[in-house]
Order: sequence, then structure tokens, then C-alpha cells
Amino acid sequence: MCASVKYNIRGPALIPRMKIKHRIYYITLFSVVLLGLIATGVFQFWPHSIESSNDWSVEKRSVRDVPVVRLPADSPIPERGDLSCRMHTCFDVYRCGFNPKNKIKVFIYSLKKYVDDSGVPVSNTISREYNELLTAISDSDYYTDDITRACLFVPSIDVLNQNTLRIKETAQALAQLSRWDRGTNHLLFNMLPGGPPDYNTALDVPRDRALLAGGGFSTWTYRQGYDVSIPVYSPLSAEVDLPEKGPGPRRYFLLSSQMALHPEYREELGALQAKHGESVLVLDKCTNLSEDVLSVRKRCHEHQVFDYPQVLQEATFCVVLRGARLGQAVLSDVLRAGCVPVVIADSYILPFSEVLDWKRASVVVPEEKMADVYSILQSIPQRQIEEMQRQARWFWEAYFQSIKAIALATLQIINDRIYPYAAISYEEWNDPPTVKWGSVSNPLFLPLIPPQSQGFTAIVLTYDRVESLFRVITEVSKVPSLSKLLVVWNNQNKSPPEESLWPKIRVPLKVVRTAENKLSNRFFPYDEIETEAVLAIDDDIIMLTSDELQFGYEVWREFPDRLVGYPGRLHLWDHEMSKWKYESEWTNEVSMVLTGAAFYHKYFNYLYTYKMPGDIKNWVDAHMNCEDIAMNFLVANVTGKAVIKVTPRKKFKCPECTAIDGLSLDQTHMVERSECINKFASVFGTMPLKVVEHRADPVLYKDDFPEKLKSFPNIGSL
Amino acid sequence: MQSCRRKSLWLALLASWLLGLLGILPLLRLAVPTGPRAGAPQGWPRWLDAELLQSFLQPGELPEDAPQLRRAPRGGSCDWGACFDTSKCRSGGFKVFVYPAAEPTSEMQHKILASIEGSRYHTVSPTEACLHLLTLDAPAGACSLVPPKWNGGKNHLVLRLHPASCSGTFQLGWAMVAEASPTVDTFRPGFDVALPLLPEAHPVRGGAPGQLRQHSPHPGAALLALAEERGGWRVAATDSSACPWDGHCEQDHGPEQTHPGAALPNATFCLIPGRRADALRFLQALQAGCIPVLLSPRWELPFSEVIDWTKAAIVADKRLPLQVLAALQEMPPTRVLALRQQTQFLWDTYFSSVEKVIRTALEIIQDRILGASAHPSLLWNSPPGALLALPTFSTSPLDFPFYYLQQGSRPAGRFSALIWVGATGQPPLKLIQAVAGSQHCAQILVLWSNDKPPPPSWPETAVPLLVIEGHRKVSARFFPHSAISTDAILSLDAHSSLSTSEVDFAFVVWQSFPERMVGFLTWSHFWDEAQGRWGYTAERVNEFSMVLTSAAFYHRYYHTLFTHSLPKALRRLAEAAPHCVDVLMNFLVAAATKLPPIKVPSGRRHEDASPPRVPGDLGPAARDCIDRVAAGFGHMPLVSSRLRLDPVLFKDPVSVLRKKYRGLEKP
Repeated sequence: MCASVKYNIRGPALIPRMKIKHRIYYITLFSVVLLGLIATGVFQFWPHSIESSNDWSVEKRSVRDVPVVRLPADSPIPERGDLSCRMHTCFDVYRCGFNPKNKIKVFIYSLKKYVDDSGVPVSNTISREYNELLTAISDSDYYTDDITRACLFVPSIDVLNQNTLRIKETAQALAQLSRWDRGTNHLLFNMLPGGPPDYNTALDVPRDRALLAGGGFSTWTYRQGYDVSIPVYSPLSAEVDLPEKGPGPRRYFLLSSQMALHPEYREELGALQAKHGESVLVLDKCTNLSEDVLSVRKRCHEHQVFDYPQVLQEATFCVVLRGARLGQAVLSDVLRAGCVPVVIADSYILPFSEVLDWKRASVVVPEEKMADVYSILQSIPQRQIEEMQRQARWFWEAYFQSIKAIALATLQIINDRIYPYAAISYEEWNDPPTVKWGSVSNPLFLPLIPPQSQGFTAIVLTYDRVESLFRVITEVSKVPSLSKLLVVWNNQNKSPPEESLWPKIRVPLKVVRTAENKLSNRFFPYDEIETEAVLAIDDDIIMLTSDELQFGYEVWREFPDRLVGYPGRLHLWDHEMSKWKYESEWTNEVSMVLTGAAFYHKYFNYLYTYKMPGDIKNWVDAHMNCEDIAMNFLVANVTGKAVIKVTPRKKFKCPECTAIDGLSLDQTHMVERSECINKFASVFGTMPLKVVEHRADPVLYKDDFPEKLKSFPNIGSL
Repeated sequence: MQSCRRKSLWLALLASWLLGLLGILPLLRLAVPTGPRAGAPQGWPRWLDAELLQSFLQPGELPEDAPQLRRAPRGGSCDWGACFDTSKCRSGGFKVFVYPAAEPTSEMQHKILASIEGSRYHTVSPTEACLHLLTLDAPAGACSLVPPKWNGGKNHLVLRLHPASCSGTFQLGWAMVAEASPTVDTFRPGFDVALPLLPEAHPVRGGAPGQLRQHSPHPGAALLALAEERGGWRVAATDSSACPWDGHCEQDHGPEQTHPGAALPNATFCLIPGRRADALRFLQALQAGCIPVLLSPRWELPFSEVIDWTKAAIVADKRLPLQVLAALQEMPPTRVLALRQQTQFLWDTYFSSVEKVIRTALEIIQDRILGASAHPSLLWNSPPGALLALPTFSTSPLDFPFYYLQQGSRPAGRFSALIWVGATGQPPLKLIQAVAGSQHCAQILVLWSNDKPPPPSWPETAVPLLVIEGHRKVSARFFPHSAISTDAILSLDAHSSLSTSEVDFAFVVWQSFPERMVGFLTWSHFWDEAQGRWGYTAERVNEFSMVLTSAAFYHRYYHTLFTHSLPKALRRLAEAAPHCVDVLMNFLVAAATKLPPIKVPSGRRHEDASPPRVPGDLGPAARDCIDRVAAGFGHMPLVSSRLRLDPVLFKDPVSVLRKKYRGLEKP
């Protein structure tokens, strides 16, 4: 609007200067432009904008006020679901190409009320749970309000319960969605599929290619890798407070709490109870309760009344039988009670079975074997039962307890299919937090002894001790398996000596100049490192013999996932001070090796540089100390294994305390090192270092055997 | 005039620009009527009356469900619960009957039959079998014959190693199908078994090991190799990202990049198209340690029921080539490292030989029968794999020697001493005293296998002592006696001689290496060029690959493995040649761990304590032993070590009083 006013001010001044024959032309042109501007302006700020802000306002509105859409009786109906659909065939993955963070974007259609020709509603507008579900998606990282960038579309048409909707009209409502396109990339959530009399195991609404997150799939209707099998949400999850009950012996071995069971099943359960007495409890609905008692929360056995779901916590195993439908809400209650579900429903696809390992939390028994269920369960060892109870409760907490948990797990599964290289692992889905926390997954888990021919790269960190450095280079170059020598020149004020001055050695020698004098430069994953084995060595370690270094490399080959070093150190718990203490005395144990001379896998350089927890790396650089202790912590934490100290103790010139002499300085040094250990232990949140009582020597070390026949004779000499 | 005209044109331009600015946005929005207004995302509205909404599940609705017929309708198809009868397998155990091959047999069929007949599942009686195995590998026509005990296909497994064989000519009935690379459309998850597509020349036993020689990729290795249509692999330059793998990249075919004959690529990732014929390439990549990147495969990955392929391969959508390429380039080193190692583990464990493939297929079916006591997923997917971790021993990973770290636990601090008293043995009174003196000893079991009755009284010890009589075979020393109450076993001979210091130290070392054998006396194996066979020597050299079980610590699980997993031929060998059990046990542990045993210092008496069973110069029979065991395993699992683990201060020039294991110090 503003712009058109401006134009009007300038306009009149121009017109008189024009010739008549042009004038008409320009006036026409300008008026067209002007009209266009006014029209768009009006369009912009008038009814359309009001409508759109109405539709999407954050203001709270009533579900009853949503727009009504009338579906003509002859509007198109989608095809029935295509049973051959797979992600690679029916899913349009191009729509998901926009998302840089390996996260799909989900769009939700706005809520409408659908009525048929005669104005009769097609279904209840929306249920509480479906509203919760859409809210959860909308609040999640998956949500987008930009329909053009969406990869997945979720209709707001509520099909959670097939009983509440009219099938043909619901299908028509789906078909008229703006991006329906045969249902491509549309996700429908349904928990109660089918209806009397045959109770199909998948939603009966024709839906063409749409994905179905369904709560009662059987192997015949479930499209593996396309549909998602979800739980039937139990409203009791929100209504009842049921604190966790730890695993352990419970009053009943086997419990059945479902109310509407087929008489044949009930008969079989009755037979089990008759045979095994007290340890089996079969509950049914209560017939003699007064009107005001909530019958959903009570169960009866003969005249005994039990509270539901509390009674589930009294049982070790709980039967989950098929009802009219395969998916049963009782599964959720049972898991929550930490009762191991005994699923007796042939061909049932358990919830989230694509990612959850149900063997760890449930027992599946074929319907035919129902009579043997007791003996099958009795053959499970007690420890495994307790494990399953814990697992059951964890599944409920993570994936069953709320509509939000169900919705997010569903989207995560679809996300993992589309971005498989960023998918969540089996352990992340299945291991309860306590297991995740305690377990260690060694990054070098494959038992593999690297070939000797690969050799190792020696990395010498130096500042300006050129003479000593050259001696180290000469000594190290005598080691047969050395394949390359890398000098990290950490002095920015001084250039390294000329090339001609360096010792001539038989392997390539590279000098890397650093930008800053930092200790962490020694652990940088330089491109020049081509071997897996790295020997970190200080520029003053001249006392190691070639045999000792070669043997150290051989030991590393047998333990490629560990730090293999020469001088060993120990951490101790100081009971008086209640903190960790650093120990360098002659002890019977080691828990660290100094990286002044140590072999390790080059992958740990990557970890040190990029994955060191907390601020440790900067802290070390700032204090110019303890980089070796940090490396010991890092490797022990990630592998769960101890260091290997090689060969006997030598007279090292206090290799860790460069340029420090004298007792008092030595003591401050020890105090500093102890502080490092305490600092790192607090950052790691645990003490990862492992104490061992062994070191590695050559097989024939100090044995009564001719020295000249030994592979590594020159070891341990002072 | 001209300027006026220009000015007005300017104005017109300006105006139309403004028009565009103001007009296009709302017009766009017009096209998307349900879309939101530009600006902050609005999300799903918070309804005022959300609290009043009804639940999808009306109270009492579920219980009112009309109970239904006993069985769901089943579209003529089969699943495990409906079509397999487990009752036969519970009584007699998991026994497999194989139909004798109908003429003509292919070589592959021959290999399969041989490997099953050699396994401990095999039975010759079709009536006691739980599973009937029928191989369909013959040319079409020959396989339309229905075998005699067909029984509608119930409890039958039909093996089809080649996708083309006999399709359609055979009424499967209730039979399961184990097929090489089945298409996803016909595969019945949880019922059928997906096999790998094996090359004709695949070895029966042993098989070539994985080709990975280092954990992390070599810095010079290519990022990506592509499976060529003509066979072979082509290494793709990483900068050819603009040209995806649709076969239209002729300019990329530099002569130095093409390896037409090279079967196995040296690259970090191997791209494999989704066609069924390319399943062969999948195994090639796996063996080479090249992480398979499968582009929309139309076939089921082998053993997908139990193997978690997300840990070893990447199944990507071929329609998003650039995203896949970007993802590969940006994949963190940690993930690459894990994927690479897993390819090797899976290849070595389940795919490298026909025997392993068949055993894996049978193990999957056995797991279905076992139900709750089947292998947990961890046992399938981490070393040493499900074929070497028997679920009959335990279903808890904590009971095995392999998973302490993954489970965040450590071995318990006690051991059981198991003393074998053979035909010539005397009651090992001194030994019992030395062992009982160890603070870690929980119990002593004497396996009395002597013609003389055991002495009526045994020395008083601080720990319980139990005598088990009546075992005559040497292999019985590795029987999983139920009396063993600890994870650690110290296996001893009556004539072994150890000090308490030695026992204590060796046990502490074992706690750090619970999956290995920790012993005092060692042998090493070697390849005898002259005779073209394996040999081993007891002469002390600079390396070793076996420890003698006359004094060694190991996990009790190895007793179960020894007794229940050895193939028939090796079991017979163990019974026939008593001196072979040591070798056999070492082979078994090495096959499971792929690592050498651990040697600890054997103190003062090792010279004279050489037990008679250790022949100074090993006779021909002993030589024969290792060669026969190696033949039985199909490969040489032993690994050599050049180190010994000593106490930290071992023979160091400090006061003996500072040393914890003084007993080891005496010269």
C-alpha cells in the first residue's frame, strides 16, 4: 500500500511532459499496475489473511468450530491397501531429500469436520488420544508447517478406532486431502482395526499406498518394512499410578486378567488353574459389583475381588491372549506391572517388532501349545525371568506409556528406514539405561592381530632439544618395524634445523610444524600417519633399546586395542583425603603407562582430538601437563581394558617431568598429577582406569636359556 | 522524450516488482489453502476443549468385543506357529534327517549333505527326526518327485541354494524354504530362512578367512567401489560424486581404476545394486571387509532373522544417490570402524564355508524351537557368534566368557581346581595343599580315573574337596560336571607341580583375559614344509600357540563347548587318542577367541616338571594328532604369541619384600 502512495505522488509530475499519443498508453499501463497493486494489497490483508490466521492461531479454539467439509456421495474412493508395497516401491523418497539433518519432516493437515451429502458426520471429529498424538508430532523435531518441504503427511482424520467411523466416507475424506496422491507418504494411525464379525487385522478403510501404523497386525496383513506395528494404548497408563516394582518372587506364577475371552480359552486356562492350583490365577469380570464401582478397574475370581491393574504386579507371568482382535491393550498394562507377557496370539506382529527384541521381554506361545504353557514357562531360569521383568518395564516406559512415546517411536522407525546410515542401533532401542550406562563397546572389538609388515609410525614431540632429539631419532630408526618417523615441532619461535643436519635414516622422516605450543599436538591424527600403530615417544627417551621397542610393537600387535607402554604408573584411593592419588613408586600394580614411550592405535588420536569428554583437552593444553593421563583415561573408558606395561622397570630420568629436578619440585609434580586424576575422574563421571598386576615380557625373559637363541635378548639392561 | 519514456519504464518495472513482491506470496498461499502463514511455525492447535474430547477407546468397549473364532483366517499361507510341529523336537532334541540325494546330484548338494552328516544334529532315522531336509538343487523336472515321508511338508525344510532351481514345479505345502537370496515379495519372515547366494566353489569346511588386515581403513584406500555389471569392481574416485552409479558414467572408466579380474576391492564402501544376481557381490564385499552399501535390494539379506545387518551394511535407497554418497563421505570414523569389523566377524562366523551356512540355518530353526531359551541377539551379533555360544549352556550373556565388557561386569574372584588322576597317577597331596593355599580357590574336584580305588582320607583343606569317580576316558576331564560352581577352572594333572604364588598370579591374570586359556607350559605349532603337514613342538622357543591343560586356567564354558559342540569326527579322535585332548582344547578355544593363549611364568620347577605327556620329541602319533585336528576344523585356528605375562616387579632389582609374588622370584 505504501508503495502505491509513493507512486501517486510522483506520477502527476511526469504526465504533462509526455506527448498525447503516448499519454494514453502510459495511463493505461499505470492504471493496470495500480489496479493490480490495489488488488493484491487487498488480497493480502483482507479476508484470506483473516482466514489463515484464524486457522493457525496459537489462540485456543474449540474443536467444535472447525470448518465443515461436505463430501459428495460420488467423490472418489482410494484403492484398497496395496499388499506388495515396500519403502522402495510405494514411498516417494524424493520428498525427503530436503532434510539435511537426516530427519524426516512431517506435516499435519488441519482439522476438518467431514459430513456426507445429508450432513451426517463421517466420524467423531477427533479423539483425545489422536489429539495428543498430533500434538506430540507437532511439538517434535519432525514437525514442519511447510507442506512443500514435508516428507511425511499425517491426516487429522482420526482412524484410531475403526468402530467409530464410516469406512467408505472416511476413505473419501482421505482421498480429497490436498497432497493425497494415492496415499503416497501418508501415515495413518490405527489401534483398533477391523469390526464384527470377521475382525480384519488391519484397518478396513481403503487407503491405497498410505503407510499404516497399526495396532493389531497379523503376518498376513503386515507389510514388513513398510507398515509399523504399534501398541494398543491403554488409557489406564495415564489414569492409574503404578510405581515400579522390582523383579523378584511374586505371589502368582501365571495370571490371566482379560475379561472377554473365548470360552474355549477360558476352559483351557481353567484347566491350568485346576492342575497347578494356587500359582495360577484366572480372573474374569465381576458380576456382583454395585453400580458405582468402576468395573474396568476390578477383576474377580469366584467371589474374590482384585484391583486392576495392581494385581498384575503380583504375578511373574501374565497371559496376553488374542481377543476378537490380535492387539490387546492389556499388553501395555502387563508390561507396566513388570509382569512378563505370555503372548498367545498366533501370527500377531508384536508392537515395534521391527526394532524391539521381544525375546528379551516376553514369551510367545503358539495357541496350540496353550496346555503346555506352564511347563514352558517353568523351564526359564529365574535369572532370565528377572531380566525379562526389567526389560518389560523398560519397554513400557520407553515405548508404551504415553501416546507421545508411541508416536515418536513410530516416526523414528520410519526415519531410520529413510536414513539408514543414521539409524538408531539395536542397543539404543533395546538396552535399558542401566545396561547402556555400564556396558562398554570396544571400538576395536574384532580379534585381529595386524600383520607385522605394517610396522609403526613413531611420533616424536619436540620443542628445542635438538641434540637429544637426534639421538632419539637415531635410536628409534634402528627398530626393524619402524615404517615412518614424524617429528612434531612444537616451537613456533624457532625453525627446525635444516634438512641436511638431520640424521640419515632408512625410513621417511617428516617434520610437522604446529601453530601453537600445545601438548595435544602429540595426539593429533596427522594425515602423515599411515600405519595403525603409533609410537609416541619423547625427545629425551634414549634409554630404550631397539629390542625393547621392537618387542613393544609385537606386544601391541597382540593387544591393538590397548595402550602398550614402558614406564607404568598407578592411581590409588587416598582414604584419608577421600580422593585419588598418583603413584610412581615401585608397586606391584599398574593402571597407566606414560605416553613418553607408548604404542597405541591411531584411532585413539582421533578420539583424543575430537571426542575427549568435557573440557579435558583444553584443560591439559592450558596446564601443559597430564596429556598422558588423559589418554590413559580415554582409552580405558572406551575399551574397558587395562594398559599393558612392557619389560622391566628401567631407570627413566623421570620422563614425565621434563626439565624438573630436585625433590621438592618432584613433589609438586606429584600433587599436580594427582589433581589431574581427580579432575578427569569427575569429568568422566567414573574411574575408568583398570588396575592389573602383570606386565609383558618376552617368552624366554630371564629364563635359563642361551641368550643368543632368544628373540629379544637385549631387554631389561640398565 | 527518451528519458521520459525510460523513466516511465523504470516506474513500470518498479511497480511490477512491487506487484510481484506483494502478489506472489499470497498467490502461492492461495495454491496451498491449508498452509500456514509465513513466520513462526504454528503447529497443531491447543484446543480449548481438549479435556472434553472423548477417548478413542470407550470405557468397557474392549471387554465387550465379541470373542472370535479360535483361529484367524489364514490365506493358505504358513507361519511358524501354524505349520511347524515342535512336539517331536522337544522329546528327542533337535535331530535332522536328510533325504538321500536323488540323481543327479550337484557338487553343492554333495557338500551340503556331507556337512550335515558330519554334524551332531544328523540322524539316519526319519521317524525320530524333528526336521526333514530336502535339497532342491537338481535341474528342473527331477525335483517334482515328492519324497516318501513328505507328510504335507510338515517339519520340512526345502533347501534351494540357487534361486532358479525348481521354482514353481513343487508344491511346498507346509514346508519351510531356505533359499539363496529370496525375493522380499515371497519371503515369509519368521518361517522361511534367507540363505546367502554362494559361489559354486565355496569350500565345505574352514573356508578363507576375512581379508581385513587392519581395523581402520588405510588412508590411501578408496572410499567407494562399484560392482560392475560385467563382474568385477570399479573403484570410484570420490570426486565423481556428480556422476551417480547408474551406468552412464563412461568418462569415469579410467584404465587405472578398473579391475575387471579383481574379485575383491580395496575400498571402504562397496556399492551393490539391488538386483538378485548381485547377491554374490554382497558376500565378496563382506569377505573383503568392504562395507556393503546395498541400493534398494529386492532380496532378503541372508539370515536376516537373527543377524542385525545395520551393524555391518548399509541398505540405502537408490533413488537418493547424492544423499547416500554424502552420508558415506561424512560418516564418522567410529561408525566406519565398527561396520568394517562387523563385516569380518559375520563373514568368518556364518558365511565362509558351506558348513557354517548350513549350521547357521539349522541353528535359526533350533532357536525358533527353543523359544525363550534361544540365543539372545547379542550372542548372534558379537564375537564369537551363535555357532560357538551355545544357548543350551545359558541364555544369559553373563555366563559366557565373551561378554563381560558389553555387560559391564567382570569375572568372579574364585576358581575351582579340577585335578585329573589318570591310570598311573598317585593322590596329588602336595598339589592339593598348594592349590588350597590360594586365597582364590573355591573348591577342589578330584576326577579319579584310576583302577585303584581312591584313598579313604584326603588332606584337610580350607576349601571343600570332592572326589568324582569312575571316568575312564581322557575326554571326560573336560566334561561340564555339575559340581563345578565357579566360572574359572584350574585344570590340573596329578603330577603337575605348582606353587601357591603361581596359582594366585595366574588366576589374577585370567581375570583380565577370561575368554583365553592361561597356562604355564606351552607348545607351538608349525607348518612342516618337508612333510606338507602341521606339526607341533614342546621345545621351548620364542613363541607358543598352545598351553598344556595339565596346568591351565580357563572358563568353565569351554567344557560345555568341548563336550557338546565338537563334530562327530573330532569327538571320536579325542576318545581314540588321549594325548590329543590338549591340542583339541586349544583348537577349540582359539577357534572361539581367534587369539593366542596366555603364558605366565612357571616358577622354579618347570624343568623337571615336564609331565610325561609332553614328549620331548613328539612321536609320529602326536604329530598326526594336530594334523587330524586341523583337518577336522578345516583350518588352523591357532595363533602364536611372543610374550609372557609376568608380575609387574618380576625379577626387578628391588627388595623381595616389596614383591607380591615372591614365590616366583627364586631362580
